[in-house]
Amino acid sequence: MIRACGGIAGFLGALIILSLLIMAVLAPWIAPFDPLRVSIPDQLLEPDARFLFGTDQSGRDVLSRVIWASRSSLSVAGFAVMIGLCLGVSLGLAAGFHRGTWFEQATMRLLDAVAAIPVLIWAIALVGIFGIREARIGPFMIGNEVKLMLLLGLLYVPTLARVTYTTALSESQANYVAARRLQGVGSVRIMLSDVLPNCLSPVIVQATLMLALGIIIEASVSFVGLGVQPPTASWGNMLADARNFLLSGEWWLSVFPGAAISLTVIGFNLLGDGLRDRLDPRHNITAVTA
Amino acid sequence: MTDDPLLRIDGLHVAFGERSRWHDAVRGVDLRIHRGEVVGLVGESGSGKSLTALAVMGLLPRGAKVSSGRVVFDGIDLTAPGKVERLRGARIGMIFQDPLSALNPAIPVGRQITDSLRTHQRLGAADARDRAEALFDLVGIARPRERLRAYAHELSGGMRQRVMTALAVANDPELLIADEPTTALDVTVQAQVMAMLDRVRRELGIAILFISHNLELVAEVCDRVSVMYAGRVVEEAAVETLFGRPRHPYTRQLLRCTPRLDGETGPMPTIPGLPPRLGAVPPGCPFAPRCDAAFDRCTAETPGIWREGPHMAVCWEALR
Amino acid sequence: MLSLMVRRAGFSLFSLLVVSLILFVLTRSIPESPARIVLGDDVTDAQIAAFDAQYGLDRPIIVQYLAWLERLALHGDLGQSFTTRLHMNVEVAATLPVTLELVTIAFIVAFLVSLTLGTLSAVFRDGPIDYAARLLAVLGVSIPGFWLALVLVLAFAVERDWFPPGGFVPLSEGLEAHLMSIALPVFCLSVFYMAVLTRMTRSALLDVLGQDYMRTARASGLSRLRVLRYALRNALVPVVTIAGVSFGHMFGLALIIERVFNIGGMSRALLTAIQQRDYALVQAVVMVFTIIFVVANLVADLVNAWLNPKLATS
Repeated sequence: MIRACGGIAGFLGALIILSLLIMAVLAPWIAPFDPLRVSIPDQLLEPDARFLFGTDQSGRDVLSRVIWASRSSLSVAGFAVMIGLCLGVSLGLAAGFHRGTWFEQATMRLLDAVAAIPVLIWAIALVGIFGIREARIGPFMIGNEVKLMLLLGLLYVPTLARVTYTTALSESQANYVAARRLQGVGSVRIMLSDVLPNCLSPVIVQATLMLALGIIIEASVSFVGLGVQPPTASWGNMLADARNFLLSGEWWLSVFPGAAISLTVIGFNLLGDGLRDRLDPRHNITAVTA
Repeated sequence: MTDDPLLRIDGLHVAFGERSRWHDAVRGVDLRIHRGEVVGLVGESGSGKSLTALAVMGLLPRGAKVSSGRVVFDGIDLTAPGKVERLRGARIGMIFQDPLSALNPAIPVGRQITDSLRTHQRLGAADARDRAEALFDLVGIARPRERLRAYAHELSGGMRQRVMTALAVANDPELLIADEPTTALDVTVQAQVMAMLDRVRRELGIAILFISHNLELVAEVCDRVSVMYAGRVVEEAAVETLFGRPRHPYTRQLLRCTPRLDGETGPMPTIPGLPPRLGAVPPGCPFAPRCDAAFDRCTAETPGIWREGPHMAVCWEALR
Repeated sequence: MLSLMVRRAGFSLFSLLVVSLILFVLTRSIPESPARIVLGDDVTDAQIAAFDAQYGLDRPIIVQYLAWLERLALHGDLGQSFTTRLHMNVEVAATLPVTLELVTIAFIVAFLVSLTLGTLSAVFRDGPIDYAARLLAVLGVSIPGFWLALVLVLAFAVERDWFPPGGFVPLSEGLEAHLMSIALPVFCLSVFYMAVLTRMTRSALLDVLGQDYMRTARASGLSRLRVLRYALRNALVPVVTIAGVSFGHMFGLALIIERVFNIGGMSRALLTAIQQRDYALVQAVVMVFTIIFVVANLVADLVNAWLNPKLATS
């Protein structure tokens, strides 16, 4: 088990993530209070036995909000990576397999061009352009949370496609693929049953590191008021509120949500690094920066 | 000339491993090189030839260490801390197998030589350049001034090995260790590089430890030869003796595997089996499982040493 | 070398075109027209038509785009705001220098610190310095810069008054006050990239130190310091590449950090523009970021071609 995560540090990362996931799923049962319960008499209380993390300006329990907020943060990052994986891996695989065609050139150039803007700036600008109000797509009302998830997913496509593409490119030139072709196995089948499994290791590592990045980006975007909208709690928008109480010294408002972000990101990073040591010892994966 | 050898290796052991698990890859090598002498060190890959050379230079890879034995160069114990660093590049030079990977890709080749020159000698920039130019001349590089500014990737394989040689002999060393200097080169270039090495040796009067698995080359250039098997020298003799009357069955079989150009046809003979793995050396003679002359004593007891003047073999069969 | 640079520059130009086209099409295709945003909800169709005609919004999108592109390429004109009627260049000129200063200083700090720390970490591999550097690197990439900013303000500006809690004091009002006002933002901005670049330096250097040519350098008796310089020359290449990318990415983080410290840089321009639904300004700001990012990458390529000429020919 420890070896599967690439050592003690990776295992620790996996443990952190697992506990956070459990916390997010069981939020309604774990949280001592309703995260939306406004109680004017309990405004801005310091942490005590009743409110372990204190209360905010509306008297809401910070601990309960931190617990509930893990849902929005983890789901935005998680679904974004899933969307990025689906599109990115297919595009990268297809481009890598159709080497030397206009399709490969067009896809990779276009994705590289999009990657010329940092994900965080894209995210802020795009949410800014689309607005933070709920949008209607057909019969569905799309909240800003979902919008951010979709956008982030699209923004992850270039990186994940690049990683898949690089591996697929070298794999599709490998001798065993030529041998499979001579056996008369079809392209699509070779791609899915031979090339894809070999691309997975670097993709998994990259995806884990992008989960970490997703948590930070969601928090950043929510912090400037463009992400998860109040009253729904997210670690980022809790910090945005906390900023207003910075100078008056209500430290618990800033400290706990931020610590939650850091812990989550540390978890994903430790796991990602561990997996990298185990799955991708040649370090094909580029450093992830926001 | 004194009787003391220039380089004396006594019972050298090199071990690989970490923490408490160490395995000897070199298991008690004895070797002597006198001034101006060319000594060949031959054996299959993994026999410990290169490790022996790297141990002399104090350049063992991470995870390997000299576990016992002594390396004495002109009276200086190289295994003592801080000693070999002063001699490297000055009194002992080394040529590596693949000159492309052995030359820094980001630094002009001339700069690599002048840096070495100025580390060991008090030279101005201009003097160092002149000296480097003379060295390029010595190793047979045409238009040396121009070539000094080149990067390794801009030169041909043979040219790179000439540069490597110039770098190794830059500070007039007394000993040159050449670790498979021609293995990575084309056959035609090999001959040129060997001729160049021979010329350099004669002009500088340098002693050479020539490591190779190519017996033909060894026969051409060496005065004496040591044959290594599984981390140990198993036979040692003057070159004519070794090729004329080999005593160790391993040497005999090795010689039989050398391709001949004298018209003899038929399948190329090979030595059956594989050398023992690190940490799994069998008791008795390590070559016994592959030996065509082995008898029961060979697998039971560590072989004794047979001697006839300067000819030495570690083999029960030779002692019979 | 030259052909590499031309190819890179060509691709950079292509990136700029793609990004600007995407932005342009997106800003022009949202349901709310600029006329409604500027003139309010109860405008007549005639007023809208007049507004659109005035700003050329009645033309096909591609014509608008080409006109916009022409002004940008020929005159460096980023366009005009529909809401404030201000010229974008004025807005950018007012806010960019502040952000640029923060980012540049933070970048230099991050680069120098990580180069030192990464080198020490690789040279003294598995020693205490290495473990400390690796721990710091994991923490550095995991702790969000803006939260670090909040905590540092609490600790050093509210609890103690070592630093001002926010605001930007221009250089014209005194060097010390200026430096004090940017110290915390610069630090918070650099931590993440310090961590990324330290790791990169460490792993690149370890990789290079294991190469055959480093053995040659030691075999020719070079001093430890010169051996290290030989190694760095090669190891810096991937570090410089990532540094180039990081410089561009730092502007993203700077947006958030500026907000914590209430610094009137590009973040104020961008976030105000978003609030007022001033898409022309959003587009201009993002365009500026893209140009900076592309230029930073080009500079990194140039530095690498100088560091390792082999890259330029292959």
